Amino acid sequence: MKTTKKEMFLFSGWDRSGLEEHLARMAEKGWLVEKITSYCLIYRKIEPKKLTFCVCYYPKASSFAPGPTEDQETFYEFCQHAGWVLAAEWAQLQMFYNERENPVPIETDPVMELETIHKTMKRSGLPAQMMLAALALVQGGLLISSFRRDPVEVLASSSHLVSGICWILLLVLTGTESIAYYRWRARAMKAAERGEFLPTKSRVGLQKVVLGIAGIALLYYILSVFTSGDRMMMTVMPLMFLWIGLLFVLVNAIRKGLKRKKVSTNVNRVMTIGSAFVLAYAMVGVIIFGVLYAGSHGWFAGDQGTYQYHGTVFTIYDDELPLTVEDLLDVGGADYTREWRDNASLLLAQYTARQRPRFDAADYINMPCLDYTVTLVKLPALYDMCKNALLAEYDGSDEYWRDRAYAPIDAALWGALEAYRVMDSEYGPWDIYLLCYPDRFIEFSPDWELTPEQMALVGEKLG
Amino acid sequence: MPRAKFQTLTEQMFYVLICLRCERCGMDILDQVPAETHGRVSVGSGTLYNLLEQFLEAGMIRETKVEGRKRSYILTGYGRETLDREYRRIATQAEDYRRIFEKEDRK
Repeated sequence: MKTTKKEMFLFSGWDRSGLEEHLARMAEKGWLVEKITSYCLIYRKIEPKKLTFCVCYYPKASSFAPGPTEDQETFYEFCQHAGWVLAAEWAQLQMFYNERENPVPIETDPVMELETIHKTMKRSGLPAQMMLAALALVQGGLLISSFRRDPVEVLASSSHLVSGICWILLLVLTGTESIAYYRWRARAMKAAERGEFLPTKSRVGLQKVVLGIAGIALLYYILSVFTSGDRMMMTVMPLMFLWIGLLFVLVNAIRKGLKRKKVSTNVNRVMTIGSAFVLAYAMVGVIIFGVLYAGSHGWFAGDQGTYQYHGTVFTIYDDELPLTVEDLLDVGGADYTREWRDNASLLLAQYTARQRPRFDAADYINMPCLDYTVTLVKLPALYDMCKNALLAEYDGSDEYWRDRAYAPIDAALWGALEAYRVMDSEYGPWDIYLLCYPDRFIEFSPDWELTPEQMALVGEKLG
Repeated sequence: MPRAKFQTLTEQMFYVLICLRCERCGMDILDQVPAETHGRVSVGSGTLYNLLEQFLEAGMIRETKVEGRKRSYILTGYGRETLDREYRRIATQAEDYRRIFEKEDRK
């Protein structure tokens, strides 16, 4: 028979009333809380019974402290004297239960209780919320700036989309958490002046919704990586998740180990936080080095072959492309590398094809190349935005490309709705085209002048 | 408007200070307050813990004995003055009540 039970900790730190009610309900079902961590509550099986719970706060306590201080032990003794048994504690959060009928509550002065809760919140809850909100704002800002620079790339990237959703959720959660706390505190202060403690309002429902959305988003991202065929990401992503889990376990083990060695609270805090930073940066360093090393040694090539040129290993991509140089020109397909990359989200998909001669090909310099990107618009409402963003790549506003801008050309030759070609005010037309079809855009860049027949074939194969 | 600290005392503060007219430890106070008020007033253990800390800080009580974790306290002169002031405030209120309602009841 199961004798212990774990439950995710979804309560706000200050949600005294919600926690007390929940713990009492669990005891009635035969589960008594015996341990609490930053992410879960652990229960042990008991005879179902009616217990009174009291959740209170000891502001001077710390999760980095080697153990309860003398003063904290005195506080526990006072509580014990009134029949309150300490069930579990985590940093400042203390959970007691009492088997007596109508016990005297641990806190009988609501004004003082509010002061204690606020001291606790100022020491840990609020700074943590603020830091997370700031992090979400910075990351959100970076994402917005990427969106302004290249909206199509951002919307077509499932990693951008998922991270955007997660940062928004974090901002909503931390922002509303602080607002909810201050709103409750303002009303609770008025109630306390009347001698009443205003019960806290549980936000477990919101936490569940946010976690649910984040979980679905993460699952979608994992699936999109594993279905993309991108061997590098398929290797890096599980490693990153594994490392994040390992980082959590390691940092927690360091904190607990220092606690066992009775190291002082401040030394433990500095060493634990310091080790978290060092390990996190080491993780990023190892992953970047590993990816570069593996890439340069062709480890991500999979079934694709490799060749060496001037000491560097290059992958010979042999992906199937919908349109090749051989389709357009009377040339053989040997000595080419054909690479197909896709980047897709629920909103947009971008497929990039690149056909290049191998560096070790005898006639490397004279072999024609072909690059094109197909942007598939899955959400029709985004069509105009995508068109404007793609046209803006060459609109004469870029300092480096200020002489180049897309100019309309005959779309009928391509079987397209609209067609544009980059024109350079000094050097004339460039072989860069933007073709608009009902559900997609094609950026097409051959390195030769196309004939009308070739244009028609491009429209037929890609449009 | 929030109360200025110890300008007026809550019932719990009042009785805790009264209990400390003679040397007592925290757990004695927890029992003594309901005993002296015939069960009308009780002080929570957390509230008492904080009150003792604040009274000590304000110089209203002082520590007399430390036996292990058991600490005993007693009222200081300043604590007694604060109690007297509170008593006079309550007495004045009672006197005002009596005077006003006796007058009205006589009409």
